[in-house]
Amino acid sequence: MSNLNQTVDVSHLEPFDHDGALREAAENVNHSSRRAFLRSSGALVGAGALYAALPGAAFAAGGIPKGDIAILNYALTLEYLEAAFYAEALKKGALTGATGRFAKVVADHEAQHVTALKKTLGAKAVKKPTFNFQGTTGSQATFQKTAILLEDTGVKAYQGQATNIKTPAILRAAISIHPVEARHASWIRNISGQPPAPDAFNPAADMATILAAVQGTNFISTTGGSASAGSSVSGKPSVTG
Amino acid sequence: MSDAVLLEEIDRDGAVQEALQGMGADTTRAGLFRLGLLAGGGILAAGLPLALSDASEVPKSDVKILNYALTLEYLEAAFYAEALAKGKLSGSLLNFAQVVGAHEAAHVAALKSALGSAAIKSPKFDFKGTTGAKKTFLRTSKTLEDVGVSAYQGQADKIKTPAVLASAGSILAVEARHAAWVRDLIAGGKAGLLPAPEAFSTPMSMSDVLAAVKSTGFIKS
Repeated sequence: MSNLNQTVDVSHLEPFDHDGALREAAENVNHSSRRAFLRSSGALVGAGALYAALPGAAFAAGGIPKGDIAILNYALTLEYLEAAFYAEALKKGALTGATGRFAKVVADHEAQHVTALKKTLGAKAVKKPTFNFQGTTGSQATFQKTAILLEDTGVKAYQGQATNIKTPAILRAAISIHPVEARHASWIRNISGQPPAPDAFNPAADMATILAAVQGTNFISTTGGSASAGSSVSGKPSVTG
Repeated sequence: MSDAVLLEEIDRDGAVQEALQGMGADTTRAGLFRLGLLAGGGILAAGLPLALSDASEVPKSDVKILNYALTLEYLEAAFYAEALAKGKLSGSLLNFAQVVGAHEAAHVAALKSALGSAAIKSPKFDFKGTTGAKKTFLRTSKTLEDVGVSAYQGQADKIKTPAVLASAGSILAVEARHAAWVRDLIAGGKAGLLPAPEAFSTPMSMSDVLAAVKSTGFIKS
C-alpha cells in the first residue's frame, strides 16, 4: 500500500483520494476563521481557559491572529486523525506486548492534544472528520507501519509551523507537543525495528505537503467542516475511495 | 531516582555558567558578522535549515542561545565519543551510541559553523566513569537527552531569528527521538520507563539547565 510507504517521505505518497476533503476543510477553516475573527474583533473568548491544559501558556486575552487559528485547526485535524487511529486500534484489540503498551500511552497523549486544541479554539475548532483507517488498525504489522507514518508526519508538521506562529503562547504550546510526537515516532520505530532517529536534523514539511500526504492515505472519509460556519460548509461530498 | 540521579551529584566549578557569561559584546559582534557571512555560503552542515540572510537581524540574544545550545551539544558529543572509545557497548546500545554520537557531532559542527568566531570553545569533560559501563551509560544518556529536549524547548519562544528557530526545532525533534530511544533501551521491551512520559513536554529555563549540567560535575574547565 503506497500510503504505508516505509520511507516516510510523505512527498512520495500517491494521493489516491480524489475528493480533496481535507484541503477543502482547511480552506473553509481559513474562511470561517476569518469571518469569526472579524466578527469577534479578534477576541477569542475562552482561550485562557483552554490553555490551562498546556504548560507555560498564559494567554493574553487580546485575540489570536487568523493565521494562528488556521495552524491550530490544522494541528487539531492531525491530532483528531492520530487519536482516532489509536482509539480504533485499541478497540480492535489486535495489539500485544510493547506495541500494545505504546498504543495505550500514545492514544492518551493524542486525546489530550485534541482536548487542549479544541479548548483553545473554542467555537472556531474544526469539527472531527470521520475516518476510515482501511483496516490498518487490525493487525500489529499494519498498525506499526501506519503509526510510524502518522507520527513522523506529525513531527514534520509541527516543526514546519514553528516559524509561522505569531502568538508566543501558541508557539510554546506547539513546541510542547512537537517533541512528544518525536518521542512517539522514535518509540514505535524502535519497537518496529526501524531507525528511531534517522536524521541528525529532523526534516520539516509545510502545510500543503502534509495535507497532500494525509489525503493520500485515504483515511479521512468525510470532513467535519468548520465549526463556526458549519452550515455553509456542509454539503461536502463524502467521496468514498 | 530516575531522572534526578545525575542532577544531584556534586560539582562546584560553574564552568559553563562562567563561559556563557563571558560571551560578551565583543564576541557577539563577531558572531553577528560571522552569521552574516553565512548568508550565501551554504557552508552550514547539510540538513540544517540555518540560512541567516542578514547579520543585522541576528540579535545578540540569539547568539547567546546558539552558544548555549553548542555547549550542550559539546557535552553530548563528548559523552558518546568517550563511550565509543571505551568500547564497553555492544548490540543495540552500540548502535544507539554510534548513531546518536554522529548526530551530536553534526549538531556541534553546524552550530560552530553558524557561530564562526563567536562560537564558544569546547570545555574539557570528565564523565566520572559513566561511559565505562552499560548501566551508567544508559542512565547518563537518558538524563542528557531529556535535558537537551527541555533546553531547546525552553528557548523556542525566546529566539528572534526565524532561521535560528527553524534550526532549533529540527534539533529539538532529534533530541526527543534520542531521548525516547534510550528510554526504550532502558525499558528493554518491558513495561517500565516510558519513552514518552507525558503528553506535553516540559521546558527548562537556561539557568535551570545550566545548574543541572553543573551538578553533574562533567565539565572540568
